[in-house]
Amino acid sequence: MPLLVIAAGYVALAAWAWLSLGILVGLAVAFFVPVVTSRRRAEAPQTPAAPDGARASSSDDSSSAALAEALERERFIARISARVRSELAVDELLRVAIEETAKELRVQRCFIRLGARGESPTAQWQAEGVEAIHDRDQLAVSNLAVKKRQTVAVGDVETAPELEQSIGAREKLLAIGTRAALAVPIVVFDELIGVLALHRTTPQRWTDDEIALTEAVANEIGLSVRVAQLLRENELRLLQQTTLFRIAAVLGESLSLTDTLDTLARAAAEALKGAFAAVLTPRGATMELAAGAGLPPKLAEALQDGLPESADCLRAAADDRHVLASPDVTRDDRFEQSWQALAQEVGYAALLAIPAASPRAERSALVVVFFAGEREFTDEDLELARQLGDAATAALERSELFEAERTARALSQQLARTGGALATELDPAAVLEEVVQQAPALLGADACAVRILEEDELVISAASGKGAEEAIGTRAAATAGLSGDVFQSRSPLALDDLAAEARVGGTDEILSAGYAAYLGVPLSGPKGTLAGVLSVYAWRPRDWRPEEIEALLALAGNTSAALANAELYSSVSLEKERSVAILANIADGIVAVDRDGCVVLWNAAAEEITGVPQTEAIGHTTMQVLQRELESPDEETRTSGQRLVSLSRGGDEVWLSLSEAVMRDPLGAVAGRIFAFRDISADRMVEHVKSDFVAAVSHELRTPLTSIYGFAETLLRQDVPFGDEERRIFLGYIASESERLTEIVDQLLNIARLDAGDLQVERGRIDLGSVVSELVASVEESGAMNGHRFEVDLPEEPLAAEADPDKVRQVFNILVENALRYSPDGGTVTVGARRNADRVEVRVVDEGIGIPSAERDRIFRKFYRAESAARDGAAGTGLGLFIAKELVLAMGGRIWVDSTEGEGSSFSFELPAARE
Amino acid sequence: MTKVLVIDDEAPIRLLCRVNLEAEGMAVIEAADGPSGVEKARDEGPDVILLDVMMPGLDGWRVAEQLLEDERTIGIPIIFLTARAEFRDRARGLDIGGVDYVTKPFNPLELAPLVQSLLDRLDRGERDDLRAEKLSELRTLMESE
Repeated sequence: MPLLVIAAGYVALAAWAWLSLGILVGLAVAFFVPVVTSRRRAEAPQTPAAPDGARASSSDDSSSAALAEALERERFIARISARVRSELAVDELLRVAIEETAKELRVQRCFIRLGARGESPTAQWQAEGVEAIHDRDQLAVSNLAVKKRQTVAVGDVETAPELEQSIGAREKLLAIGTRAALAVPIVVFDELIGVLALHRTTPQRWTDDEIALTEAVANEIGLSVRVAQLLRENELRLLQQTTLFRIAAVLGESLSLTDTLDTLARAAAEALKGAFAAVLTPRGATMELAAGAGLPPKLAEALQDGLPESADCLRAAADDRHVLASPDVTRDDRFEQSWQALAQEVGYAALLAIPAASPRAERSALVVVFFAGEREFTDEDLELARQLGDAATAALERSELFEAERTARALSQQLARTGGALATELDPAAVLEEVVQQAPALLGADACAVRILEEDELVISAASGKGAEEAIGTRAAATAGLSGDVFQSRSPLALDDLAAEARVGGTDEILSAGYAAYLGVPLSGPKGTLAGVLSVYAWRPRDWRPEEIEALLALAGNTSAALANAELYSSVSLEKERSVAILANIADGIVAVDRDGCVVLWNAAAEEITGVPQTEAIGHTTMQVLQRELESPDEETRTSGQRLVSLSRGGDEVWLSLSEAVMRDPLGAVAGRIFAFRDISADRMVEHVKSDFVAAVSHELRTPLTSIYGFAETLLRQDVPFGDEERRIFLGYIASESERLTEIVDQLLNIARLDAGDLQVERGRIDLGSVVSELVASVEESGAMNGHRFEVDLPEEPLAAEADPDKVRQVFNILVENALRYSPDGGTVTVGARRNADRVEVRVVDEGIGIPSAERDRIFRKFYRAESAARDGAAGTGLGLFIAKELVLAMGGRIWVDSTEGEGSSFSFELPAARE
Repeated sequence: MTKVLVIDDEAPIRLLCRVNLEAEGMAVIEAADGPSGVEKARDEGPDVILLDVMMPGLDGWRVAEQLLEDERTIGIPIIFLTARAEFRDRARGLDIGGVDYVTKPFNPLELAPLVQSLLDRLDRGERDDLRAEKLSELRTLMESE
């Protein structure tokens, strides 16, 4: 509002300029008029200025004495003019004028009365021994001059016809020794402002010169008085202006309401020269002390709880917006006795109460200035008071605007903080708790409650403040009480002072604790529904400013949003927990990455499948974690479901069947990816092994078939005459290869039986030693030795075992075949058997390629062939050891292997010994 | 006289090849494993090699690779004799540089005419055509399946 101050300053300056100009004009006129007048006198001395007969005829002006006298009088006029004009105090001016004039004209009395009428002269002079004028009738000649607005000259009171009309005047004049009188009206700019009169105690005709001189003096006095009056008025205004300027200046300095009110109190006390001052502002139905300057503690205390009823007239003055002046409070029956007693006690006698209206407030504030002594208030005081009131009004208005802004700013800052606090709160109950703590702090209130709608009832779900916390859980109909009104009207309800409201009963659970002010706003729920009411309470009556109501509405908005957030969060977190539980228990590995490819989700199955713990995966890219991208390089495979991806898990190759989904944000941009995969290494191995098995079986079947078919075709050749020996060899191959084929088929049949679970074992007592010897002999015979040499290590005594002889032969055959097959460079194959407690053990030891330790467990599995064997292209179905193991197990024995890679293997099996 | 080297770990198969090729007037050299096969190929310089794939120790693929890496044996056409019936095995044989493959079991009477016609075509400088023919034959087989 500085603009207003500046504007006010300009107006004041302009006023001052006009005033100054007026004075200058006045002074100029004052200077020029007398000169003109005297010249007029000089040029036309004969012109009668008084009624005929009242003035003597012109004197002998040709004589040099007369000339000298005239000159002397002119000089006198000039002198008196200089004297009175230099005198700015009217009293002094008049005194000088009458004394000088009396002396010059040798009269016994000279007086001036200002104003058109009056009981007594304003100033008078009389010669010693001459009675002063004290009666209106003694002013008969003057009154006549005033009435006629012209000079009245009475040479002899006893005979003057002018005195005929006023009864008793002549006598009165004579009684005070007046025999001759001259009265000249004092007229300035056509305005009669007084009269100058001369009395003589001896009758004597007034000469023209005397009359002219007196008229000239009257003229001078008139002008001087007016100038002095103007100056005085101006001085007064200047004083007021100065005071107001000072008030305006100090009021303009500080903008906060508190500072403004303090300054106002101080300025009022200073300007009106009071002992102390107070500013009262309306609060609820009453007024309360808002600021004081030098207030006695007792008075401040009395005003602290509002204006007492004993001074109710002050409130009325504020309401009516009129100045209340009490020159003496103790004798002013507008005040009650207790207030008067208080006045005496705190030591003041008079007071002046000035309303300061604010356009925003319905009711005025009141500036009260207290005076130590009794005091008559002059017009100037009242004028000053009025102007002070205007200045105060302007200051209050400005300050209230400022306060409104400041409050709004403070509220919005507080709201932002509260909003921030609420936004991070994820528990609905905690949101409400936060709100009921924040709201009173936000609005400077004393209590707060949140009512939430539950089945047509408003339930106090959270509250803070005395009397409020106890009400938590209280239910009331959604139509009941103040909050019910808010709820039904869906709009804020602000009550400044419940005492002044007729409507309030015990309808609010919290109000009954003694609160005086209430502000409630509706609380929205999701999708525009109404969820409840947020209300605050204050112990003392107060204005709810519009920005405060706005702030509470905003807080209610924040609350609704925070509640919605919190509820959303709880449902989301529940959903998340559910998802996490599902993800944790799902067998598939689930990995989610964000838009930057960093892992944000890594479930338990993913840990297990990849061998990478979640803690090492989260926050890193899959490249960092798995040394490869999971993301499909091209769009087509990305959407086409499963892909095969291999990973390394601690040196082992792991095969994953992986599918991929892209997560998109609402704008359609890629927000992340989810990969789901399962470990198909085992499946893949089975597939792989099966495929190898098919290839191996194919080879194992095709090789004997080639010989059988080939030799048969060869024997059928007509063009080649084969000898008997050749034919015998050919047929021998056909026979042995057929046998080989049968063996393979048997193996396959065994497998089929093992798979079907109907392997027949016919256990009986057999001698293992003889079985081994027979088999070694038959192998040696068959010519399959291929550069190998058998060494047989058998004990002397028979080794009786409880077993199926055919099955034992099969097992032994398998082991021997393997020994031959996997020692391609020949060497010794040691075959042995021995008794081992209640078991009989058979072993086949070769000097072949051996078996890597990693493969030793796997070689007894179905279809499994040692990798080295497969790589070297060695024949075999991969069924032998599996069959051997199954057969041994079926006979109640066990089979195992010891091997050193590159040096050979030692296969052993043991069977239960036959009971003696 | 056409000299044929038969490399196979199975004695009956070697005999079968020898009997039937000699009956058609060809000379036959035998090797029972990969290393001796490579050695004999270098020493004897056969006109054609019949090479078994599945052999213990050095298998047929690696024998072929060694032969094709060696200047002395690079020019000898190789016919794979294989019990591996899968297409990928046949394709692999052609990839390595074999000119043809014979799947076991085979009719031994057809062996000599096969060898002869191959050699004739190679003589006519149709080695590349032959390979292309075999590959397209394989492709047709694979597609029909």
